[in-house]
Amino acid sequence: MTTTERPDLSWLDEVTMADLERNPYATYERLRAEAPLAYVPVLGSYVASTEEVCREIATSPDFEAVITPAGGRTFGHPAVIGVNGDVHADLRTMIEPALQPAEVDRWVDDLVRPIARRYLEQFESDGQAELVAQFCEPVSVRSLGDLLGLHDVESDKLREWFAKLNRSFTNAAMTSGGEFANPEGFVEGDEAKAEIRSIVDPLIDKWIEHPDDSAISHWLHDGMPPGQTREREYIYPTIYVYLLGAMQEPGHGMASTLVGLFGRPEQLEEVVDDPTLIPRAVAEGVRWTSPIWSATARISTKPVTVAGVDLPEGTPVMMSYGSANHDTGRYEAPTTYDLHRPPLPHLAFGAGNHACAGIYFANHTMRIALEELFEAIPNLERDTRAGVEFWGWGFRGPTSLHVTWEV
Amino acid sequence: MTFAVTVGGNSVECGEDQALLDACLRAGVWMPNSCNQGTCGTCKLHVVAGEVDHGSSPVETLSDEERCAGMALACQARPRGDVELRPQGTSAARTANPLRDMVGTVREVSDIARDTRRILLGLNEPLTFDAGQYVELVVPGSGERRQYSLANTADEDKVLELHVKLVPDGVATHGWLFDGLAEGDEVDISGPLGDFHLPPESEDDGGPMVLIGGGTGLAPLIGIVRTALRRHPAREVVLYHGVRGEEELYDGDRLTELAEQHPNFRFVPVLSHEPADGYREGFPTDAFVEDVSTARGWTGWLCGPPAMVEAGVKAFKRRRMAPRNIHREKFTPADA
Repeated sequence: MTTTERPDLSWLDEVTMADLERNPYATYERLRAEAPLAYVPVLGSYVASTEEVCREIATSPDFEAVITPAGGRTFGHPAVIGVNGDVHADLRTMIEPALQPAEVDRWVDDLVRPIARRYLEQFESDGQAELVAQFCEPVSVRSLGDLLGLHDVESDKLREWFAKLNRSFTNAAMTSGGEFANPEGFVEGDEAKAEIRSIVDPLIDKWIEHPDDSAISHWLHDGMPPGQTREREYIYPTIYVYLLGAMQEPGHGMASTLVGLFGRPEQLEEVVDDPTLIPRAVAEGVRWTSPIWSATARISTKPVTVAGVDLPEGTPVMMSYGSANHDTGRYEAPTTYDLHRPPLPHLAFGAGNHACAGIYFANHTMRIALEELFEAIPNLERDTRAGVEFWGWGFRGPTSLHVTWEV
Repeated sequence: MTFAVTVGGNSVECGEDQALLDACLRAGVWMPNSCNQGTCGTCKLHVVAGEVDHGSSPVETLSDEERCAGMALACQARPRGDVELRPQGTSAARTANPLRDMVGTVREVSDIARDTRRILLGLNEPLTFDAGQYVELVVPGSGERRQYSLANTADEDKVLELHVKLVPDGVATHGWLFDGLAEGDEVDISGPLGDFHLPPESEDDGGPMVLIGGGTGLAPLIGIVRTALRRHPAREVVLYHGVRGEEELYDGDRLTELAEQHPNFRFVPVLSHEPADGYREGFPTDAFVEDVSTARGWTGWLCGPPAMVEAGVKAFKRRRMAPRNIHREKFTPADA
């Protein structure tokens, strides 16, 4: 195919990061229609936007993982989401034992349920709340924080960290010369990392001498010869992966599911009345507004043609799972939240050998949190005096969710 | 070649080289799933009957022990024949009281309120049931079946007590139970049926209860409330009986007597359309909202016309009763 046959994509030159962060859907809808694999100048990268192309690349032997430039600038190397081969295998072997379904089943209820109850007790008699800040995010970060061994780090501090790391990780705008367009956008991420190091370094010192059952202690020791631990510089990038995505996204997923259900009052009522529908409600919630909207990437390992586009070896492609999950070729009326839509698999957790390792834990955290919420406040209503705004291109969810109920 | 895959009451066709999950999802039968490549374990389930080929299920996700215990990953497993599946987390069906067909003999027919009869049916063999369940009667000559709740407690197992309201032109009531039914008549019965009953005694913590019955929806509540108070004589129980007018009330003495024996039990009749001195006025679900400021930790029991049951669910949730503690039995109107 010659370039003259390709659609005119000059409109992409006008797209800014602020546009994408406010609402990426219009841009990606046009990409899906005109060029499912396209070079997007503001991102300085190819972007895969349809379900078919995302899935093809994510599972292709001709691609491997790569971290986005802003992601790499934020996390450093080797982060589990951006490495391959032996290092990837070692990092997955390090993190996966605690996330195996049989293992998660053993403790997830005892971990998450009391945390959800504790946060609910703080506001359930108030008759109103802002659920993102008072429930979804705190339950998400406290559950994972305790699992990691960060019991003494306040939930609000964990929330602050993921927010700063998020803005740094998704500070993706590039100049035409291939430089970061907003280098100052990484400062708050660097500050967060410095604070993280000042708090986690002493814990690592302690765990090296006195291993315990916390996840990071296991990361240091598991599979290592006696007397040796993994280097902290080796595991920090993956700690940052957790402190951003794993901390933030279950909260995003819960909040998006709730917003979706509030838009369908009859479906909300069904789910409240029958808690066994919660997993399905959450699956549709993360399809409808995928928390990890466009945060991962792949790179070609040889010259390859995808969706009619010839890519040389070493071409990075950003995976837009949030767009793929709105693909009209796969979902009817994808912008509508519908608990009862034909239940096709979605890409909210990615695909291939870099699919999210925390799927099972995240799904159960969201399930248990919503079970407790609806059990404690079955008469929950959205406070229509306040609007709901979504924000984010790399990671996406409601910025706030005001609710009321009769007490 | 396709096989039948049965899960939770649904049956779908699955090709021999098709994953169980794929077949279910395509047929609109949802089950938990996430990665669809065998690595996350979200779609793990029990193979209750039949055999599957685990395909490329990784041992990290599905251990040998789990395979031996009859677990499978729905996104990887292919059927080798007809299979029956049970999603993880759903318990094996409780041992239900066995359903029986039997013949009862009419012991007594009495008019107890306007257009309302109490019918007692004697059995040769005792019936095993839980208070609150119902039976079906076969309407003679028509083959039609009609469902009536039992007002009995489980130990009242040889004479079944039914409360029947006259349905204008109803095949069962107008044409039979209110016309010609006499002591000594034989009646074909199937039962027990339904899941409207208390949990087993070992799981009943004696927590507070509210019960709302509309008209003859009082029947199963009479069995349930007596069972609940026998288990925990001091438990807090409120029973509302909603009817149109005083003439439709019945069993007031029986319930007043029960209240005398149990100081934490209250019986509240409520009249919706024909006010009378000494009675609450309005709908019983509204009376509950007026009386009870919070129902957190309570269980709720609703039996009556669909509109009353819907209103009751809303009222209970408004008073923040946990939805899983709301039990409901709707009268589904049969064709006349």
